[in-house]
Amino acid sequence: MPPKPRDKRGADEDSSAGQSLAPALSRQSRKFANLFAIPPPVKALFDYVPVLVYPPNELPRRAPKPAKIPSLYVFSNKEDAAAGRPSFNPSCLKWQAFLNIAGVKHRLVHSSNHASPTGALPFLLPAASASTSDTSQDTYPIPSNKLVKYAEDHGASVEESSNLRYEAYQALLDQRIRSAWLYTLYLEPLNFNAVAYPLYVSSASTNPLVRASISHQLRAAAEAELLKHSSIIDIDDLYSEADKAFEALSILLGEDTWFFGSEKPTLFDASIFAYTHLLLDDSMGWKEDKLSGALRRRENLAQHQERLLVRYFGG
Amino acid sequence: MASPVDPGDDLFDSLRKTDPKKLDEQAKAIVEKDEALRLKQEQRLRDLIQSNSTLPVTISSIRLVGVRNTRRSFLDRIFNPIIGANRDTPYTLSEALQEAGSAADKLRRFDIYHDGISISVDKPPQTDPSSTPTDIDIYLQARERGRVSLKTGTDLGNVEGSAYGNLLWRNIFGGAESINLNASAGTRTRSAYQAVFDTPILSDPDKRLSIDVLASSTHKPWASHEEALKGAGAKFSWATGGGSSHQIAYTGMWRQITGLAGTASPTVRSDAGDSVKSSITHTWIQDQRDNPFIPQRGYLLKTISEIAGWGPLRGDVAFWKSELETSAAIPIPVPGIKGDSGVSFTTGLRAGMLYPLSVGFGSTPQPSRINDRFQLGGPTDVRGFKMGGLGPRDGADAVGGDIFAAASANLLMPLPRLGKDTPLRFQLFANAGRLLALKDRGDNTQKSVYDTVAQLGDGLPSLAAGVGLVYAHPVARFELNFSLPLVMRRGEEARKGLQFGVGINFL
Repeated sequence: MPPKPRDKRGADEDSSAGQSLAPALSRQSRKFANLFAIPPPVKALFDYVPVLVYPPNELPRRAPKPAKIPSLYVFSNKEDAAAGRPSFNPSCLKWQAFLNIAGVKHRLVHSSNHASPTGALPFLLPAASASTSDTSQDTYPIPSNKLVKYAEDHGASVEESSNLRYEAYQALLDQRIRSAWLYTLYLEPLNFNAVAYPLYVSSASTNPLVRASISHQLRAAAEAELLKHSSIIDIDDLYSEADKAFEALSILLGEDTWFFGSEKPTLFDASIFAYTHLLLDDSMGWKEDKLSGALRRRENLAQHQERLLVRYFGG
Repeated sequence: MASPVDPGDDLFDSLRKTDPKKLDEQAKAIVEKDEALRLKQEQRLRDLIQSNSTLPVTISSIRLVGVRNTRRSFLDRIFNPIIGANRDTPYTLSEALQEAGSAADKLRRFDIYHDGISISVDKPPQTDPSSTPTDIDIYLQARERGRVSLKTGTDLGNVEGSAYGNLLWRNIFGGAESINLNASAGTRTRSAYQAVFDTPILSDPDKRLSIDVLASSTHKPWASHEEALKGAGAKFSWATGGGSSHQIAYTGMWRQITGLAGTASPTVRSDAGDSVKSSITHTWIQDQRDNPFIPQRGYLLKTISEIAGWGPLRGDVAFWKSELETSAAIPIPVPGIKGDSGVSFTTGLRAGMLYPLSVGFGSTPQPSRINDRFQLGGPTDVRGFKMGGLGPRDGADAVGGDIFAAASANLLMPLPRLGKDTPLRFQLFANAGRLLALKDRGDNTQKSVYDTVAQLGDGLPSLAAGVGLVYAHPVARFELNFSLPLVMRRGEEARKGLQFGVGINFL
């Protein structure tokens, strides 16, 4: 107990000393500031140079051509990106579909996670403004969680489903179906070699050592993600949970055109589409098709995917 | 009675109370005497050698004393060629000593012995039936340096501070092989780990082979990213005499452009990700300058040629890269000052080109990436511009170029009163440079290179001039300059006013 008041007094003394010091310090720093201020004749000289300024240098060939519309950075390849075809990554495809539905004009740039400010794709880079050296706020990349706001700000009518059940179903998608997806893509050896490897690994580098390292990282990350939710990875459980989730979604959709009976597809439709399209797309070349088999049995979900693809991806 | 005691006391006192002045004098006298003796001995030896310089001798044995960890087979390669039994003609004494001296010099250059390898000559006892009258024995006395040395410290460089730890293991297999483990962390080079195995080839200190592995991560604020490197390489270097040396190196490097800043430009974003460079580099240096940091006279020529990705090299990038660096200095006589005035004029020229090739045996040349392109500008090359301040820019990012040329002219003058023997100089300089990206001519690389080279001469180059102070520290050159940019391209970043530079290699 005794030391306490003394400590306090000590602190008080310190702070009062600090107060009396503060003006002196600021005077000091002002003096320094004056010392480092540019004297007027030098300032006049600085204003005079450079004497000659030429137009800017051209950019290297790999630099993307400037565009008037924003660029969405996604996992894709050069040809698919140029043609605006669906990305092979569910989170990229979700936002790609969302922007298509919302009618936000954009171009696709095929990229990797390294390019992203958050460490994950997708993100949207707003179109460059007229002045080239502009580094103002509107050239900052927009991460995926801010895309709804961006679309609203840019005049798109975004229909947000206010249904209470929405969150429950979103969770179903984000956990059950995503877990099964992670397992079937990365940890199922047949699919990893046939599907994930060419898409995510071969495209990064031609070097076998680098490829081995990236494969290992991808699989370890998927495993770590799955172990976040349960202590062991039970394959049958993962698939049966996904199957149940598809069943629930199928019942939810029923005979409607879009989920929750809305007029226009919403972000929820886009997130369903992101998985259903990739699972039903024959060009993905699934070798182990338990998950896509479970989806194919729900005909209305397959039709929903077809509908969205035709309407918003032109085929 | 008292008188005989007193002097005794005095003696006792004088023994007890030693006068420091007297001691100093005594010590000095001893040193002087030793020195005189040594000089006399040396003189006598010189006279002896002088008078016997043409005496025919054969070296019957060379003994290296004080060495425990050095391999016999390693030393044999140095000593065998000069031993009498391996030669047809006998030496004269002075030749023999010269040979022994050059062998000692070789030993010194392996960096495994302390400086000061002493040589002594002896005649084997004539009673030994195997000896001939002309035989001499040579004794070399060397002290081995510690086999393991650990060093830690901090470095302050060009806008960079770092801390490092270094472990050097010398003479591992007794043949001057060494392993150097280095770890550092800093403000720009975020982290770097490197292990180098280095060995002389055939006991020749001028032929070296080294193998290294490295992992590092470097912050590159001028282009809003971090570059992570993991790789390995092998180097073979050899000297060809006359200040000229060569190096051939193979490097396999996994580069990752990652950790982009929020403001990173689309050009940097499009280059983000992985790439593997597999390349062979040849470096040739001819350095004839009298001082690398403030040269008075002489010249430097350096060429670097690199081929990456082509043919069997594979990897993800393919190009041919050539760089030339020259610098020359001439002393300027000042009327009224005899001998060297200390005033010198130095000039430098650097140029480089990156010629895109196709990976492997393909036929579509690959446009260059940001980590392969050149950067130009900064206090150690084109002064008066920021780091990477010249060349193509996307927003705030210096994205580099494929072709560059830069030149400088400096007039170095000793400071008044301090004179020319101090490492301080006042300098007047003007330097200029151009850094360009290859023009897009489809797949016609040749045309695009020609057109870009032609563009180097369009208008005046970006140019800056100024005055400054140069300080040549034994390990680096420091410059503090006041500079003004005169000509530039829009977007290029000049630096008006003071600029500080530390480096080994200035333009």
